[in-house]
Amino acid sequence: MRGLWIKAWILLLAVSSVVNAEDLLPDERRAKKQDALYGQALYSLHSGEYDKALSLNSAVRQRSNRGYGKVLNIHEATAQLGLGMSRSATQQFQKLISDKRISFLPPKARAQAWFYLAKHFYTKGMWKTALKSMRKVSASALNTDLIDEYHFLAATLELFKGDSKRADKHIIAINKESKWAAYAMLNLAVNYTEKDIHINKVEAVFDQALLLSKNTETPEALADRIHLMAGQFFFATGRGRSAIKHLKSVGLDSAYTPKALLTYGWALTEQWQYHDALQPWYMLKTAHSQLNQDVQETLIAIPHLLEKLNAKVMALGAFDYATEQYDIIYKKLEESATRLNTGEFIEPLLSQQIPDRWGAFAPIDLSLPDHPDRVYLKDVMSRGYFQGELKSLRDLHVMRYKLNEAIDQLDAFKITTVTREQEYNDVKRERLVINHSKHLAKLNKRYKSLSKRIKNAFRDPAGHGLASDTEKEQLAAFLKVAGSIDNLNKKHKVKPDHYEKRLRRIEGVLKWSLSERYFERKKKVSNSLASLQREIQRTTDQLDAAKFAYQVAPKSYKGFDRTIAKLKSKYQGQLKKLELVYQKQREKVGGIVKADIKNRQERVMDYQLQARLAAARLFDETSNKVRSVATGEVRQ
Amino acid sequence: MNAIYSFASVLLLGFTTLVSTSLYAANQAGLDAEIEELKAEVVELNRELFDLEEKLLYPATTSFAVFVSMDDVDDFSVRSVKLNLDQQDVTSHLYSKEQVEALRRGGIQKIFASNLKPGVHKLTAEIQGVDRDGRTMKRVVVADFGKARASKYLEVKIRNNPNQSKPDFAIVEWK
Repeated sequence: MRGLWIKAWILLLAVSSVVNAEDLLPDERRAKKQDALYGQALYSLHSGEYDKALSLNSAVRQRSNRGYGKVLNIHEATAQLGLGMSRSATQQFQKLISDKRISFLPPKARAQAWFYLAKHFYTKGMWKTALKSMRKVSASALNTDLIDEYHFLAATLELFKGDSKRADKHIIAINKESKWAAYAMLNLAVNYTEKDIHINKVEAVFDQALLLSKNTETPEALADRIHLMAGQFFFATGRGRSAIKHLKSVGLDSAYTPKALLTYGWALTEQWQYHDALQPWYMLKTAHSQLNQDVQETLIAIPHLLEKLNAKVMALGAFDYATEQYDIIYKKLEESATRLNTGEFIEPLLSQQIPDRWGAFAPIDLSLPDHPDRVYLKDVMSRGYFQGELKSLRDLHVMRYKLNEAIDQLDAFKITTVTREQEYNDVKRERLVINHSKHLAKLNKRYKSLSKRIKNAFRDPAGHGLASDTEKEQLAAFLKVAGSIDNLNKKHKVKPDHYEKRLRRIEGVLKWSLSERYFERKKKVSNSLASLQREIQRTTDQLDAAKFAYQVAPKSYKGFDRTIAKLKSKYQGQLKKLELVYQKQREKVGGIVKADIKNRQERVMDYQLQARLAAARLFDETSNKVRSVATGEVRQ
Repeated sequence: MNAIYSFASVLLLGFTTLVSTSLYAANQAGLDAEIEELKAEVVELNRELFDLEEKLLYPATTSFAVFVSMDDVDDFSVRSVKLNLDQQDVTSHLYSKEQVEALRRGGIQKIFASNLKPGVHKLTAEIQGVDRDGRTMKRVVVADFGKARASKYLEVKIRNNPNQSKPDFAIVEWK
């Protein structure tokens, strides 16, 4: 069982990239023009907002499929997978891509879908299912960018199943310049270490993996990993020198440094190079946390080495020091366990997660700055099964946050409806619309009468309508004078030409001035009237809009009360249900951590016991020697 | 007699252990199923809330929304979009790598939703992005539009221009 876990750990480490939910989409169908709902669903899905994508997808489905066919099912399954709803998603996915109709899914898209589904199972550790899916991938139809990765994953899964022939075929098919070639070689080497394969062949594969590691994205980290694995293997098989060669090559600031330093020390010890072995162990002890299990082993390994170097007094001191340190480590672990019970360990970790990121593809933020359990957490989180359980707990935590947020939102909706109703009633009470209507009607009436007066004023194009009172008197006087001249002519047969000329001249000047003013005034008045008309029209439109808003306003709050209350009660019920499941999952995660802490404590106690026994033995040996030397001196 | 009792106790203990182990396994599987069921229920509830939000906050007569889309654009990567409605900044959005990819794959983003009164309005969209050579590009597109007593949707569209190395930017009105 332990071997299986180690194997799982090694194989999982070899994957440098992870699968995303949207990778499982077999078709890149563009949003139909102006179909906002479908387009938004697609946007949410591809940008990783899976819960929103599911809601929108469901809304599209409710509205009607509009010819989207099975694409909506694929989207739904993808989003479900993204949210960690693996069971229903897998069922749906397998049903969908098992359909061999080309009209439904072209071979290229199907091959890609099977590939990503297999990769998803692989990253989840469901390797048997992954292999089944992987065997359904048609390599010839697969995108060229994915071919090498496909062969790597297929080889890894075949190796896990124990089918070396198939695995070899896949490994040979990988392009040597691809990054996957190095990972495949590493997995092959690991596989060889578990079988009765000649050591030279294993070494050759490790060397090949090292050579190919240059093509990967993180060549140094991968080289460190290969060196560590090779070193551990050679050390376990009694090839100390080969082990030393590899372990010496592991970088000092790598994630694999503690394990490499520890094994390096042991390998040197096996080679009787005790002095040299002390160096890596001291380095390990001083540079890393005591909660690291490699450091804990070093604490007891150092005095053993000192004893071998015959520095027995120093060894005795180192054993005593180790015993004290084990006490401290034990207490630290005890404190972690207490923090776990008092909600100071898992809870701070959950509270620092981003509320919108949840589901299978959203990583957990494990930083936990300035927290005493930071180192321990980093160590325990390297185990895949714990990560899975913690992710489920995180999802429940995020869901709780979302449910509470939704309840707050519903309260806000309630306030909105109440405010709207109040505003409506205020407007109704103040009779604003009616008053404004009346006011506008009055304005319209005035406008009409004004128009009538203006029409009258401009009726005579000579501009008489625009004459002032004095001018009107003058015009009347002109008429009177003209009448007098006529009478004079009729009665006395006198024709005063110069009077007539003077009258026409004076009359002409006045009429000219009036006609000039007429056009100017007409232009101005026309402009003002048009502007007034526009203003009245705008006000009328506004009033109409206000009337319309007033009429439809009750719709903005009526009938929502019941929906809001119903939804709120649903949310509250859901929250209660979630709390129960959360507590269960919290207990589960807590149980795992507790068991892990207990195991670590047992191991520490075991080390401490060994240190105490060795110290006692050493004390006896050294004191007997002193006694015998003293006796000898007396005898002399 | 004692031997029989001890044998029976061992048998009982064995049976209890077996039953409790299988119960534990069933509980664990049950818990996973419960979590999945909860997720499905929460998603369904969210959909109901989404419906309610749309109906309550943005009634059909006043609703106004702006969308962003990319059409066959491979040589431009949008970084941010800033909207100004009637001389007021109303929203801005910075795009993540995933969101750009989502737009590229046909997604439509609802960048702004609000209520708008009937009348004439002006929308300005400031789009910033990076072209294929990594050069920063900034474009401003303006649209004057009328709003009646019905919902109004506008789309900031980034389209491929086959005649130029740069894409076209436009604000399109949905009919």
